Amino acid sequence: MQSRWDIGEPEKPTINEETEQLKSELLTLNMGPQHPATHGVLRIEIKTDSEIVAHAIPHLGYLHRCMEKHCENLDYRGVIPFFDRLDYLASMSQEHTYVMAVEKMLGTEVPRRAELIRIIVLEFQRIASHLMAFGTYALDLGAFSPFLYAFQDREEILRFFEELSGARLLYNYIWVGGVWNDLTDDQVEKMKSFLDRFEENTKTYHELVSMNQIFIQRTANVGVMSLQDCFDYGATGPVLRGAGYKWDLRKQAPYSLYSEFDFDVQVGVGEIGQVGDCWNRFIVRMREVGESIKILRQAFDKLEPGSIMGKVPKIIKLPKGEIYMKTECPRGELGVHLVSEDGGKTPYRLKVKSPCFTHTSMLPRVAPGQMIADFVATVGSIDIVLGEVDR
Amino acid sequence: MSTHLHQHSSFKQYFLNLFHAIYTTVKGMYITFSYVWGVKVVSIEYPEVREVLPARARMRLFNDAENCISCTQCAMACPVDCIYIASEKMPEGAEIKKTTSGSPIRLLLTQFTIDTALCCYCGLCTTVCPTECLTHSHDYEFAQYTIDAMKYDYLAPDVRAWRDRIVKA
Ligand code: SF4
Ligand code: SF4
Repeated sequence: MQSRWDIGEPEKPTINEETEQLKSELLTLNMGPQHPATHGVLRIEIKTDSEIVAHAIPHLGYLHRCMEKHCENLDYRGVIPFFDRLDYLASMSQEHTYVMAVEKMLGTEVPRRAELIRIIVLEFQRIASHLMAFGTYALDLGAFSPFLYAFQDREEILRFFEELSGARLLYNYIWVGGVWNDLTDDQVEKMKSFLDRFEENTKTYHELVSMNQIFIQRTANVGVMSLQDCFDYGATGPVLRGAGYKWDLRKQAPYSLYSEFDFDVQVGVGEIGQVGDCWNRFIVRMREVGESIKILRQAFDKLEPGSIMGKVPKIIKLPKGEIYMKTECPRGELGVHLVSEDGGKTPYRLKVKSPCFTHTSMLPRVAPGQMIADFVATVGSIDIVLGEVDR
Repeated sequence: MSTHLHQHSSFKQYFLNLFHAIYTTVKGMYITFSYVWGVKVVSIEYPEVREVLPARARMRLFNDAENCISCTQCAMACPVDCIYIASEKMPEGAEIKKTTSGSPIRLLLTQFTIDTALCCYCGLCTTVCPTECLTHSHDYEFAQYTIDAMKYDYLAPDVRAWRDRIVKA
């Protein structure tokens, strides 16, 4: 039976008279699920012709937790912790998407201070997530110390989140109508001084990794995802921007208060390698960190005292209807399709459109013809989190 | 001819690459070596040195059963349904006690168990508790050998004895 993932038989090596006696066949190699380079429990079945990948098929589902079905039995507040566990490296962004969908259906007005605190945590989350991507990517390619530097900075951000929400990774912080806890001036000062230090550190990271010749040789012109491929598969986020297309929902379809902020959308321009390759995807992430710092500085200036929770009924009941809400998460566009019954306390259906899933499905497209080592570089460069792929 | 030129340029490129690789690696090594002296240690030597957790840190749950009014709001808020509460009517003539916040306790709590193995530390139960008797403690070392040992019966004397140790001020 043909699996949905099959994209036809791999091309057979041509056999001429000389090699007729030396029969060759493709070697099947399983990368994962317990493989550090697959960033979680992804199994990729690779058919290799010596060192060249002829065919790569991702097998998903090792982290499937039936999250969408579970949500149909939970009240609207109880769904939020489940959203944390989708993309566990960027929980704030995931919560925010869901909460915005519920707020839109309820017609809740979110206080300005709450919106600003949300933007602060979202951008810090983006930095933390990109730092993780930076560190693990360098680790994939054999450089160990950048990983440790990235973790030092990430640790400080997680510390802020722990002070704010009580948890390091799975926050349950952004609530329907506002946020759970208020940000104190003390914390704002700490965050500001961290940003100053961190901005210096990013320069070191560029020197250490992005401009390192060995790194460039490993990533430039490797794993090219052309713009047409990105459109065909529906890629978003750094993958699409790395291919040179200016598309960021914070700019193109501003939600929350993003329209008030002044920042650029970073795209890959191919000053090294070509647009759409691993290096350009990587550099888009690194430059986005700089944009996030810009947004954060502006957000701190805008911050003014006020309430952090809007008017929300004690038991949330939504009117009949449906909504599709999408936001720009660190890994791409996360979409939430929420269908509600009239006066129901639980969602009728909650569908999550995950960017990582889309990007994983692009792997069979780019893999054929790559060396195995380059394939590892490609998998690392799309920065997938399996919690979100499998849900 | 063109092939020859190509070879020539790639030959030059090869050495240029080599030079760049060595140069940028030395630069990277310089950054790494600057950490050898004069940079303070970032990691914590865990069992000897312990981190002070922020006030809001959400660790093991603790229910101060004396203050619980058996309203079951926490059990209803819990997304994974891991709080088991049973209560019955107060026996005739028993005096109605009050919680520290002053609300009368009208029901006799007969069971209050949390399956910590299922709990996802989301904190939703603590936010709905009207008497604030259910709180997250700062206790994070509670690994067990069996999964049954993760079920805490907050009416049992040994679990109650934690109170002096872990209740937040
Ligand atoms: S912290 Fe969350 S999962 Fe744990 S008992 Fe409370 S509501 Fe349930
Ligand atoms: S919400 Fe508080 S008072 Fe009510 S049953 Fe739970 S622990 Fe007891």
